[in-house]
Amino acid sequence: MLFIRAAALRDLDALAQMARTARPVLHSLPHDRDALRARIASSDASFDASFDASFDADVDAPGEESYLFVLEDRDTGRLLGTAGIVAAAGYPEPFYAFRNDALIHASRELQVNRKIHALTMSHELTGMSRFGGFYVDPSLRGGAAADLVSRARMMYVAMHRRRFASEVFSLLPGVTDEAGASPFWEAVGRKFFGRDFRDVEVASGGRSRTFIAEVMPAYPLYVPLLPAAAQRVLGEPDPHARLAYRIHRDEGFEVDRYVDIFDAGPVLTVPVERAASVASGETRVVCDAGEIDGAAAAASWLVASDTPHGPRNAFRCVLATLPRADARAPLDAPTQAVLGVRRGDSVYCAPLRQDRHASPSVDARPGAPQ
Amino acid sequence: MIVVRVAKESDLDALMSLAHETGPGLTTFKPDRDALAARIARTRRTLEGAAAPHEAGYLFAMQDTATGDIAGVCGIETSVGLREPFYNYRVSTVVHASQDLGIWTRMHALNIAHDLTGYAEVCSLFLSPRYRTHGVGGLLSRSRFMFIAQFRERFPQRICAELRGHFDAGGTSPFWRAVGSHFYQIDFNVADYLSSHGRKAFVAELMPRFPVYVELLPDDAQQCVGLTHADTLPARRMLEAEGLRYENHVDIFDAGPVLECHIADLRTVRESVVVPAEIGAHPAHGDGNDGGAGAGVRSLVSNTSASDFRVGFAAGVVHDGAFALSADEAAALNVAPGEPVRVLGPARKTGREAS
Repeated sequence: MLFIRAAALRDLDALAQMARTARPVLHSLPHDRDALRARIASSDASFDASFDASFDADVDAPGEESYLFVLEDRDTGRLLGTAGIVAAAGYPEPFYAFRNDALIHASRELQVNRKIHALTMSHELTGMSRFGGFYVDPSLRGGAAADLVSRARMMYVAMHRRRFASEVFSLLPGVTDEAGASPFWEAVGRKFFGRDFRDVEVASGGRSRTFIAEVMPAYPLYVPLLPAAAQRVLGEPDPHARLAYRIHRDEGFEVDRYVDIFDAGPVLTVPVERAASVASGETRVVCDAGEIDGAAAAASWLVASDTPHGPRNAFRCVLATLPRADARAPLDAPTQAVLGVRRGDSVYCAPLRQDRHASPSVDARPGAPQ
Repeated sequence: MIVVRVAKESDLDALMSLAHETGPGLTTFKPDRDALAARIARTRRTLEGAAAPHEAGYLFAMQDTATGDIAGVCGIETSVGLREPFYNYRVSTVVHASQDLGIWTRMHALNIAHDLTGYAEVCSLFLSPRYRTHGVGGLLSRSRFMFIAQFRERFPQRICAELRGHFDAGGTSPFWRAVGSHFYQIDFNVADYLSSHGRKAFVAELMPRFPVYVELLPDDAQQCVGLTHADTLPARRMLEAEGLRYENHVDIFDAGPVLECHIADLRTVRESVVVPAEIGAHPAHGDGNDGGAGAGVRSLVSNTSASDFRVGFAAGVVHDGAFALSADEAAALNVAPGEPVRVLGPARKTGREAS
């Protein structure tokens, strides 16, 4: 059985392995072992801050916390995926993105009326909560495990609203070629940095360092003036990120008018209260598997627990089949064990799929020339 | 003798037929009778001191006095941009540096600017292909600087000249294709025509409001910035010899360079002298006392009249504080014996000549 839990220092080797082998490169996990250890320690401390008799009392606003989740196979103990949340993007520095604005250039005399897009360096995402570092072992790509890894984060947010901003964004990797070169970087970033994309990614490790203000353009960039290859990938997720894109859309994320400053990958945003796991989530009472006749109207649900009276960093999330409309969550014994709950405890549940509407397709991209 | 003089109403027919010799490109000298008549009238008002500052300007015609043939025009605007804005891009330097990352990059940005507002502008030069022989183009171009030197008080402190930018073999401007076409969405020639005919409102409405990074443009467009059209290179060399320099202003449509300088620094202003004319005593100079330098040498000579300004080449240099003109030259320049003439001798070669 696969389940999500908070990362711990014992996961260092497995996470380091993931950071090294992930394709495309997993930029949000440090490749340096000491830096990765520090990241895990920071996550550990962030989760830990919620473990208190007065739930969340010590964290009532998003700040420097960062949370790292891992997907574990209970039967083998292997780690097969990871994902993270940064409570406040950029904290305490600005988080940079390009905002893709439409400027109207119109002349009545010439009967010209045109929308011209321009990319402006923006800090507006600063302070929003950020999802990042999503990775699932290729062997699991076809199944719902990827959904579990990604969406467990919003389950955690739903259970700890005060720790997060009212809006969440996620930066998906932009298009790169086999050699790791980004057409957008070649046309834009390279002119300013004079370096390879990968070198800067590694050296920077983020989108909020002060050097970005020093090096990136102070003036807006007119999109129609950029080379066609760069325009084509604006707001376009890398093919490797299509799965992540679909899962984000299932969660309720939408393409926004922001793109990444380095590779022009899309920024997806969702107000927390409109996220599927929040809007459709409910608290249920655990019962044993046999107690309900599960044959009728059952579906896949995300089921999470975070017992304040349990062990440290007790957040767990699994996929389980639950009846659609019921105040109870019938869970078998192994699942109860993984979640650290017993009959009569509360769990937070959200349906994996929204049946009300089909999941939207990859269509309106930010910055697609009109 | 070929002279350049102020254009008059009676030149209108000849100027119309000359304008038909221009191809596409010279937007300020088109076969448009009303426009030409207005331009001549404006010149007259300017000479009479009746023109408002924003409209002051001069049109000159080049005439072969032997045949009466009018074969060239050129103009001066006294102060550009005082009614309609005078737009250019200023090519500014932007350095991005991070000591942490060991990065230092220099880029260039095009900023819409009105920096040249109030400058005088030399413009509208056209010489009939029939007369493109040695020195005639130089006479036409320099005639304006002789006029400015003579009537310095009529002009502001600085002067500029816009040069045509680079066009590819297909006759289109790579810079326009990469930049202007996206903003203005009309044909280059239409934009250029409207802009030079007092209908510049569209520029303000449609131009890029933010600086444009040069290095982010396609290569061929980048190379256009400040690049002179091959056909205009002789004109550029002439203007540079006169002292004008590219100072990082370019045209907003084709990115052709703007040359500029202080009027006080023009070679013609610095080096021309006013001396009395001696008529008929030709050639009293060049007789060996000045080392034979006068042999085969000619000077640019003008009269000093505003209303009947004339300038042309005449053989010889200033000698003993006077300039000798033949009777024909004096007649062509409308100069009487003893009257002052302004003389610009041949350009000195670089460095001091060995003596």
